[in-house]
Amino acid sequence: MSDYTWKEMMAVLFCREMEDGDRVTSGASTEIFFAATMLAQKTHAPNMKLQLGGTCFLCNVTDVEIDKLPATSSSYELLKYAETVHDHSETFLFYCPPGREKYYEDGSPYRDTNHFWFADKFFIGGIQADKFGNANLIGLGKPGDITFRGPGSVGINDVVNSVRDGYVFLTAHDKRRLVEKVDFVSYPGRKICKEVELLGNGPKWIVTPKAIFDFDPETDEARLKSVFPGVTIEDVKENTGFEVKTTDEVETVKEPTKEELDVLRGEVDRTGVLRQD
Amino acid sequence: MSQSKKRKEVIRTVAEAVGRIEDGMTVAIGGFVADNHPMIMVREIIRKGLKDLTIVGSATAGLDIDLLIGAGCARKVIAPYVGLEKYCPIGHNFRKAAEAKEIEIWECSEYTLYAALFAGSAGQDFMSWRGGIGSSIPELNPDFREFTDPIGGKKKYLAIPALRPDVAIIHVGWSDPYGNGQHFGAPFGDRWIARASDRIILVAEHVVPNDLIRKNPFMTSVSYADDVVEAPYGAHPYAAHGSYREDLDHLQEYIAASEANRKGDTKTWEKYLDTYIREPEDHVAYLERIGLRKLLGLYVAPIVTW
Repeated sequence: MSDYTWKEMMAVLFCREMEDGDRVTSGASTEIFFAATMLAQKTHAPNMKLQLGGTCFLCNVTDVEIDKLPATSSSYELLKYAETVHDHSETFLFYCPPGREKYYEDGSPYRDTNHFWFADKFFIGGIQADKFGNANLIGLGKPGDITFRGPGSVGINDVVNSVRDGYVFLTAHDKRRLVEKVDFVSYPGRKICKEVELLGNGPKWIVTPKAIFDFDPETDEARLKSVFPGVTIEDVKENTGFEVKTTDEVETVKEPTKEELDVLRGEVDRTGVLRQD
Repeated sequence: MSQSKKRKEVIRTVAEAVGRIEDGMTVAIGGFVADNHPMIMVREIIRKGLKDLTIVGSATAGLDIDLLIGAGCARKVIAPYVGLEKYCPIGHNFRKAAEAKEIEIWECSEYTLYAALFAGSAGQDFMSWRGGIGSSIPELNPDFREFTDPIGGKKKYLAIPALRPDVAIIHVGWSDPYGNGQHFGAPFGDRWIARASDRIILVAEHVVPNDLIRKNPFMTSVSYADDVVEAPYGAHPYAAHGSYREDLDHLQEYIAASEANRKGDTKTWEKYLDTYIREPEDHVAYLERIGLRKLLGLYVAPIVTW
């Protein structure tokens, strides 16, 4: 048996997704994304621009010692890693990337600017996600008759206006969470983003503890891209509330390497928060 | 010439500050998730039994407004999130009252709330915003109106109507007697909440001389508040940036009591309200119930100084 938790797997997976020139906001889903982004700065992405949590501190931890992962997105301890402070409300006022739409084109000359623009990657939670990658934090039921009240949409539909890639992240994989159609849309999927001409692309992936879905560029529907180690395609199909279409070759996500886990545990998550399953 | 040249000081007791809030008013509460909520004022609002309030939460409200909902003070809630992240993803009283349709929810997102406050503070009737287009929010909030870019494009925008709370209640590290408050850490959305509101009440951990504020006016985050309530541990059980961390034991007790309430065990919930809000005769009596050992254990060393 492998000696890592699913939370550590997630931190390593999202760390691998970060690029050195990225501008990233960790969002509120706290420890996994704090760990993933800080790990990226400490390994291959020291120039990644990073806003950690809701404190609205721009943080770089490349040469800073982390004693423990902050527990909430409002924690005062995040100030240890800060280089800049702005009001939370101002986060939404430097959204538009240099070059506007051109920024999103491959090979855009605007991608090597040194600015922080709130632009490349953001992480989105949800009580439901559907086959188009729409995510719901509002509740279950219908307008005027919400039978299960969710926490609220936070800022995710503000973010989608211009963030290049969203990652819808669910902490469990079952038919209640992965549905044919969400009851309410907090965060619009790729199809709606195109229809209403938002600058951002919408979700790049849906990630659950079992699998990663990407999207068919033609239909904007989710398709199974990868499974996590020990998970079968059948297992994913049985636990998903929409018909699971697959890419030509469903991969198994590479387990965390010893080197990745050494930095994660030795320099980022020293108190082992992610090891508590 | 008998006019006084003395500046007006605005230090109040908590009862005086709450005395100016009336049933049915719109009250905005500052802070963010687990930090900087002006809890001494929240508790006093409940003690006074204020009703039918429209509560404006911070962009990521914590369980501060969940408590007001659970105590029956709120008729309408304006907040894009009510919960405490991993400790309590959805506020239990919020969920209970919403599902029972006991409160009206003004569905919004973080920036649509800020846009409403921005419009309010700037004297605009609305602000336009693209976020929310393509989501269910305009369908759930009829105050948001979709319109087409009048400059000549075809894109849809939302008109977010101005929000002007009757009063904002904001927690700061310290304030002078004239209402100049300085945060010891993140200001979150507090400045936008304060600017949009007709009156501002500051809860300050300490009241300090004006000289100290003048040593660094760059740090003054809220100017000329109408009332300043001095209250050490005024944000407890939440953290106050630069002063103390959140009291997780107490928050767990709160979460358990509110969960019990959601599941129909009103006795456990009422006991929480009695123990920590109705019975203590004042803030010090409340802190005595929390205990000196606990409070001293929450102290944090400053990370930044100025």
